[in-house]
Amino acid sequence: MILRQLKELIKKEILILLRDRQTILLLFLMPVALILFLSLAMEGVWADKLTGRKIQLVIENESNSPQANLLAKKIKTHKLIQHIDRPRGMDNDQIFADGKAHAIVTIPKGFDEGDRPVEMYFDPVIDAGYKMATRSLITSITVEVVMGIDNLDTVIAGLLIEKTKPSREFPSPLQQNVPAYAIFAMFFIAIPMSVGFLKEKKDGTLQRLFTYPVNTNLVILGKIIPYYLINIFQFVLMLLVGVYVMSHLISFSFHLGEHPWHMLPVTMVVAAATTGFGVLVAALARTPEQSSTLAATGAILMGVFGGIMMPHVLMPVVMKKLAMISPMYWAHQAYLDIFLRDAALVAILPKLIVLTLFAGICFYVAGRRVQWI
Amino acid sequence: MNALDISSITFSYDGAQGCALQNFSLTVADGRMQALLGPNGAGKSTLMRIITGQLRGYSGDVFIYNNKMPDRSALLSIGYAPQPISLYTALTTRENLRFFGAMAGLSDDQIVLRSKIVLEQTGLTDHAEETVMTFSGGMQRRLNLAVALLHSPKLLLLDEPTVGVDPQSRNHIYETLTGLNAEGMTILLCTHIMEEAARLCSSVTVADKGEMIFSGPMSDIDNLEKFFLEKTGRELRDE
Repeated sequence: MILRQLKELIKKEILILLRDRQTILLLFLMPVALILFLSLAMEGVWADKLTGRKIQLVIENESNSPQANLLAKKIKTHKLIQHIDRPRGMDNDQIFADGKAHAIVTIPKGFDEGDRPVEMYFDPVIDAGYKMATRSLITSITVEVVMGIDNLDTVIAGLLIEKTKPSREFPSPLQQNVPAYAIFAMFFIAIPMSVGFLKEKKDGTLQRLFTYPVNTNLVILGKIIPYYLINIFQFVLMLLVGVYVMSHLISFSFHLGEHPWHMLPVTMVVAAATTGFGVLVAALARTPEQSSTLAATGAILMGVFGGIMMPHVLMPVVMKKLAMISPMYWAHQAYLDIFLRDAALVAILPKLIVLTLFAGICFYVAGRRVQWI
Repeated sequence: MNALDISSITFSYDGAQGCALQNFSLTVADGRMQALLGPNGAGKSTLMRIITGQLRGYSGDVFIYNNKMPDRSALLSIGYAPQPISLYTALTTRENLRFFGAMAGLSDDQIVLRSKIVLEQTGLTDHAEETVMTFSGGMQRRLNLAVALLHSPKLLLLDEPTVGVDPQSRNHIYETLTGLNAEGMTILLCTHIMEEAARLCSSVTVADKGEMIFSGPMSDIDNLEKFFLEKTGRELRDE
């Protein structure tokens, strides 16, 4: 009888949730849309950060001397340069305003004689680091031509060598956004969970339930299990979107890491934390309206602090420390351990312990504060 | 045998100054339809919640067919239709019946059989697959009653069962209750509608300020409303 009651409690909860279109939008479509649009939006920024964007450059050779022609040719054919022809009738300001190019290089008459230097114009809103890199590149090409050096890099190779390791901290847009917004949406489960509970209290169905021989713990399980399962389904869905849909839409693929099965314990613990948050909101709020405000505000703040909206690696040091107060930070870092750092389960364990403690505290406080009737 | 036997119940809510119920006693004989009347704040809803096991922490005893509450078989012998329409409005009629039937421990076959009967009794057979949120107030009220009847209780507790319903639904509910009582079901009817109590019930209990102030046969009372006002006073109750 107990199992049958539990089954019916779970079934009832899922049926109610599935018939609420707003909740479906909130739990499933919102994160998909966020992953889609924010990954597309971040693609350019990430391209700059990770692979180096090609510099779109207009070159004007007013000299046409052999040296000037060689310089123009070397600039145009450099692998980091994308040569753009000056659009007809556009001055420099218009070119930058319309985003046609990042920089304009002019080789003036008298360049060969050393009378006039090469002139550079940059889009005024270009990133300072990007501007400096472009300027250094044009300088080194100019030095090669003027000094008659075939390739400056081979000369410098004896003096300077780069030994940078591949990044284990900087996620691709998909590695950042898929777990980030899956976690974000999982925490939003607190809204339907708490609103449903308070609505049942308000309309008397919860009180009516207790006029039957139903154990209170069974009612609690009947409330938690469906949302826990929905949380896991949410994550699986977001993962599938990331792997099979988003990787076709943007130029970054989604690597699951060397130990993708680690997602199982991590997702189970994250789902416990999110349902714990939902139970806590349900216990603290007095009305359904209050609970949805509390849950949404809590989830958004946890997202802002926890490196969901702004990647943790890009945060200033103080914010990186502050992020640790958010359970979303620990959840997100646990997933990044899997996708980015190929971490062993032992390395992920401390994050899982923090999330388990968070869940435990939520359930404990909720248990002390909840008023069933 | 008494269907319901309440002796010397005293109860107060946390933080409240006075008692919601003070040394309250009540008996309902098996097979009777009895009215429970009282102005706002009389303690009727508190009493209903104690009888149905929702409230604990009271002193005194509640026996349902000689089973002392809280008790599983006592709970199963009660059918309770609360005053708020306590149904899952996103679910269909049948889904609501299935859910509450499972909570009462009915098997799938019993739920199917009993659903058919209570839907006929409440005139909702044609609306079994419709979601409750599309129902009128009267239909919701009737389903509220159907749920209470589903597990064939021996004692039916009704809290304002006809509030906000049209005359047709009200009359249908009255006929259903009369029929059930005639078949032997004991009914405790908590209501503010004096005509309803006078028409349906053979005995009456009047409560005020947490105490039982009258209990006796309806036949002893000529004019129930006048009698009620004489017993409870004419001042307004804003509780």
